[in-house]
Amino acid sequence: MKDRIIGGYDNFVLPFMAGVIFLGAYLLIGFVRILYNIPSGDRKKLLISLITPKTILKNIRDIICDCLIHVKIFKRKALLGYMHASIAFGWFMLILLGHIEVALFVPERNGILYYPVFYRYFVAEQHHTIRGGFFFFLMDFFLLMVLSGITLAIIKRFRSIIFGMKRTTKPSLADRIGLYALWSIFPLRLLAEGFTAGISGGGFLTNSIHYVFASFFGNDLNILPTWWAYSIALGLFFFAMPFSRYMHIVTETVLILFRNAGLKVTKPRKGFAEAEIYSCPGCGLCIDACPMNVLKKNVKYSSVYFIRFLRRHNTRKINEIAQKCLMCGKCSSICPVSIDSCGIRQAQRETITNILPYDYGFLKKPGLYPVPQPDCSTDPGKEKVLYFAGCMTHLTPAIIKAMTGIFDAAGTDYYFADENGGLCCGRPLMLAGKTRAAREVIEANTKMIMDSGCNTMILNCPICLKIFREEYSLKGIRILHHSEYIEELIQKKRINVKKNNMSYVYHDPCELGRGCGIYEPPRNIIKMLGELKKAGKERKESICCGGSLGSITLNYHDRNKITEDSLDSLIINNPENIVTACPLCYKTFGNMAEIPVMDLAQAVNKNIIKNKQI
Amino acid sequence: MIDFGYTLNPSSRINLDNFDRNKFEKLSKSEPDVLLCIGCGSCTASCTAGKYTDTSLRKAILSILDCNEKAAVDFAASCLLCGKCTLVCPRSINTRNLLLSITKIYGKKQ
Amino acid sequence: MKHANKNIVIIGGGPCGMEAAYRLKNEGMNVILVEKGPSLGGHLACWDRLFPESIKADDLLDILKNNISDVNCFLNTEIIKMNLRNDAYDIELSNGITVLARAVLFATGFDIFPAEKKEEYGYGIYNKVITNKDLEQYFKTGKDERIPANPKNIGFIHCVGSRDEKIGNRQCSKVCCATAVKQACEIKERFPDANVYSFYMDLRMFGRHYEDLYYKAQHECGVRFIRGRVSEISENKEGKLIVKAEDTLMGKPIKITMDLVVLMAGMKNSEAGIKTAGQLAVLRDDDGFFNSEDSFYNLEKSAYRGIFFAGTCLGPKTIPETINEARSAVLSIKEYVESFAND
Repeated sequence: MKDRIIGGYDNFVLPFMAGVIFLGAYLLIGFVRILYNIPSGDRKKLLISLITPKTILKNIRDIICDCLIHVKIFKRKALLGYMHASIAFGWFMLILLGHIEVALFVPERNGILYYPVFYRYFVAEQHHTIRGGFFFFLMDFFLLMVLSGITLAIIKRFRSIIFGMKRTTKPSLADRIGLYALWSIFPLRLLAEGFTAGISGGGFLTNSIHYVFASFFGNDLNILPTWWAYSIALGLFFFAMPFSRYMHIVTETVLILFRNAGLKVTKPRKGFAEAEIYSCPGCGLCIDACPMNVLKKNVKYSSVYFIRFLRRHNTRKINEIAQKCLMCGKCSSICPVSIDSCGIRQAQRETITNILPYDYGFLKKPGLYPVPQPDCSTDPGKEKVLYFAGCMTHLTPAIIKAMTGIFDAAGTDYYFADENGGLCCGRPLMLAGKTRAAREVIEANTKMIMDSGCNTMILNCPICLKIFREEYSLKGIRILHHSEYIEELIQKKRINVKKNNMSYVYHDPCELGRGCGIYEPPRNIIKMLGELKKAGKERKESICCGGSLGSITLNYHDRNKITEDSLDSLIINNPENIVTACPLCYKTFGNMAEIPVMDLAQAVNKNIIKNKQI
Repeated sequence: MIDFGYTLNPSSRINLDNFDRNKFEKLSKSEPDVLLCIGCGSCTASCTAGKYTDTSLRKAILSILDCNEKAAVDFAASCLLCGKCTLVCPRSINTRNLLLSITKIYGKKQ
Repeated sequence: MKHANKNIVIIGGGPCGMEAAYRLKNEGMNVILVEKGPSLGGHLACWDRLFPESIKADDLLDILKNNISDVNCFLNTEIIKMNLRNDAYDIELSNGITVLARAVLFATGFDIFPAEKKEEYGYGIYNKVITNKDLEQYFKTGKDERIPANPKNIGFIHCVGSRDEKIGNRQCSKVCCATAVKQACEIKERFPDANVYSFYMDLRMFGRHYEDLYYKAQHECGVRFIRGRVSEISENKEGKLIVKAEDTLMGKPIKITMDLVVLMAGMKNSEAGIKTAGQLAVLRDDDGFFNSEDSFYNLEKSAYRGIFFAGTCLGPKTIPETINEARSAVLSIKEYVESFAND
């Protein structure tokens, strides 16, 4: 166990060191820039989160699960997960063990950056001593692990379908440099350590390499060139990193800290968004996930390319992609890094549309809405329901009929807020990026709702639901989606439903499932009505119906293709009915489905046992 | 010309010679569906804001074609972008983008 | 000399199929008329009167029926299988009979657009919304519980399921405008105190005397024509209908309370016809109707030898047009059959 090289330096470490210093400086500047650009309130939040034990634990857990083990990818596809985890975790362990070795055996070299990396070159060791053998084994084991991952990565580049990916990202130039550097780093390390094994010792892998090559050419001559090559590959990789997708290796940890501190996207290109942009690993899982990509021409609008253009500051492309997206949130929900690309898109849309003229003077006019007289006489515990159907529902009278049928059956004392048409909830404006205008609508609606004296608000439109829950401050009012309310009515036996022998498939509307996290109540209700069949893709992977208000520029014919694709996924198990819980999905499917489509309210109302007590 | 001493009021007739074709082409590039309108009035009839104020996509399009850009922006300015008109349009016009494009191209930035 | 095959199968027993059967029989053909329903007449049998002169539909139907009293008609029968064999079609019928037909005429007609698909109009949801077909039935039988005894306001809504990309029918159904104006006059005659409104996108009164019908509706019946497509109908507490549209000529959104709304459901290619034609992979256009060999000179011919079309399976048309097309198809079929006799 001793330093082989007096002075502990050789010129070949230079490429590596240059790379590390460049990367370190780039990261530092980037980090400071991000911190500078996030609102001061958010900075405070971040600071507090970094000293709160609960978030510290969550940070550690998330970093281990997401950055090292890649749990989310494992859950989707084990082989793909192994590929990512073996490289990330294996590499991490190599670095960690390298440092431990330095700390244990050559403590005087602590703090020299290149020492743990080129440890085998600088330090000679005997593999037959126990502590030497232990580290040799571990190092070789993790090197093997990384090499297996790299092999899979190379296979994936050519045959991605083996990993369950129909399409993968087209790499940019920097990506390619990074990619080839990454592919070569570990084989070169293996060779370098193998050639050095005769002097410094080695484990099962490196020693074997030594024996194999020693038999037909002199190992010693190859030692330095391979270490040089290894160092150059590393340096090249570090230089390419800031411009390639491999930046995520470091930025993702920062993103996790930010996210766990509760930060959100405010500007499309700065602050938190920048952390997200640089955390995109470019894995391309979002390409297959995107409902638009049923048409090949739409692949260019995938989140991974959106983020690439954001990095390149290509405003024209950024705007084009930002406006095309359905904002269904599927890419974010399956993203291994959970990048909120819809949030970034919305922020980008704000830069385009928030400056456009609008005039909502009519909102200020008195008597905008008829409001019921506040009911003061009864006890405060009494349920006072305000039913808000929303704009879309007025085009689907069957849902309104079903809702009022359910209210009547349950004996609910309700007031129909927009019976003769009301205001929009503001969500479509928000989605289009007109946040300033949306605030005015929210204010007008809030006044109407607070004046009504209700304590429960029922919405059958998830688009409304999301904004009422997230952007409105309606103190003391429960805001329920009709699926939640109906489930409650059944649980409290205020309505009774009968089971029939029909089969149903449930479509998760984007805004309800991924948007508000409501997956179970509709399913629980359907199970009480009949048989619930599975869709091809469901819950957080449900395919947008195509009707989404999220997209600004997608035309009707392209939307139809998405609808067809979504329907195909729904009817895969031959259900007799399609049930959804959103008027927009209902209407979109209704025009094209070959089997009956109904809203949850209709399905319930049809199977309600009438003349039941209140 | 002999001056007879009459002062004529400017004609209130729409003068289609003033039509700004370049600007309209910009609009139809931003949203090609603008060319599809048959003026059926469904959008205005279903309009959420139209109940309260003079919002009309149909009239906004016509105003542009009739060289009254200011009126076009006014007809679009009170739109809440709720998307109901997209659902009722028999020509499946992408109404929301059309309305945004009209304010973008013909309106003054705020 | 081998026995010439003069078997002709006509699919569909509506006005088109009946007229073609009669004329083919006169030409010495051996005609087999196949109708999936229990009686002949098609949609004509559901109608009370025909525009523009308001002749009785039954009178025309009687003429057509009498003409073919000695033709082989298979009612309640469908085509099970159809294969091309040696310049003839081997056709298996659902009643067990197999025919080797020299030529097949598709007179499969149309389906009325299912108005419940335009949910915003509330057909099947609101009690006081009926279709043009329902109204004809009412004129014929005098019975329809949905029609109130003394309606004050009656609205006709044009283009339900026509000229509408949303429900996949881009085409104009051609006959509904004239039908609506005819029905508006008739309902006004039945309920003289009622106000009758007609909501239209464009009034396409293209045929001879159709404009007179329009004139009559305005002048004699006082029908109010509103140029605006209805966007939605809602129901108030009394069960009356609130119709929303834009008066596009005035440029204002309007609403009106109606006691009865009649939806002018359009035409689409018959599902049964499509299914039968599917066996031969007959091509259809975007609008769902069959494709002729060409649309000028060989309208009645298909891309397949021995397969002919006539009537509304080639697109919306009036009854006189249908009858004419049936006759022209007969000429083509005759020519086709005789081309074998000369061999």
